[in-house]
Amino acid sequence: MHIPDGFMDLWICAVMYIISAVVIVYSARKLKGKLEGPQVPLIGMVAAGIFAAQMLNWPIPGGTSAHFVGGAIAGILLGPYAGCLSMVSVLTIQCLVFGDGGITALGANIFSMAIVDVFVGYWIFTALRQRNLDVSLFLAGWIGIWLGATATGVVLGVSSVFAYGFVTTVSVMGIWHGALGIIEGIISMLAIKFVLDRQPDLIPVPKEVVA
Amino acid sequence: MESLKEGLRKWRSVLIVISVMILVSPFFAWASEVVGYAEPLENAAEHLGAMEHEYAIISGIIPDYTIPGANPYASTIVAGIVGCLIVLGLCMVIGKALGGK
Repeated sequence: MHIPDGFMDLWICAVMYIISAVVIVYSARKLKGKLEGPQVPLIGMVAAGIFAAQMLNWPIPGGTSAHFVGGAIAGILLGPYAGCLSMVSVLTIQCLVFGDGGITALGANIFSMAIVDVFVGYWIFTALRQRNLDVSLFLAGWIGIWLGATATGVVLGVSSVFAYGFVTTVSVMGIWHGALGIIEGIISMLAIKFVLDRQPDLIPVPKEVVA
Repeated sequence: MESLKEGLRKWRSVLIVISVMILVSPFFAWASEVVGYAEPLENAAEHLGAMEHEYAIISGIIPDYTIPGANPYASTIVAGIVGCLIVLGLCMVIGKALGGK
């Protein structure tokens, strides 16, 4: 889901950089002075885990697949603001060190995976966790990546290189990642429950929900 | 500031999971080659004739998680270790800069 250089018109690259920069600055301001000791290594561990998980391309036969993205996990385990910054770290390192995702497309890639996926995942989780923790975690992972991918379809669809094929890009991204996102939802649920079992004191989840 | 030893003990289970993911990454790299891994983004680009416009301004020091000239599967493991350490370090720096102790 990492957009390379050359796929987006420069004006849309610039717009996505500006939108993402605004959210990053806002997130940093919200966090300023509020991070407590154990949260800092947690941010690093979650980001490192997401980086490793993103390296594993799912070997699904048939030529259309994806890999885990993990924005919802970051948003749920770290809260949306720290979750956003942890995903920004992952995406920036992927771009600069591994050439995964173009530098001109970094704003758009941050928007879909470090903003939409993180915040949507967090909001779904907080809205539904009191009803059913497992379902809230699954839907957060699934719908977070679905909407993130759809956002990627939108920015590609308004680009000349994609012949302004908005309907095609949005439907290809939306339908395929909607289906593949079910795997993301299941992994998100299992991974967060794994962490909750071991570090319940670090996670901003009400105790009665954990129990 | 917790010591390295304390940190390793406290985060043992998470570190084990990350290590396992890094260790199995060559298998996933091989398997995704076997099945002809492609993402919906690439399929859409192919369909609309955008693939020929793809390029990379920055290839990175480990382009596409492969060290140039090295065994691609072994270098996937190196890429995983290097990437996790840099990401972990960067997040610690950001966390500290934002006031975490």
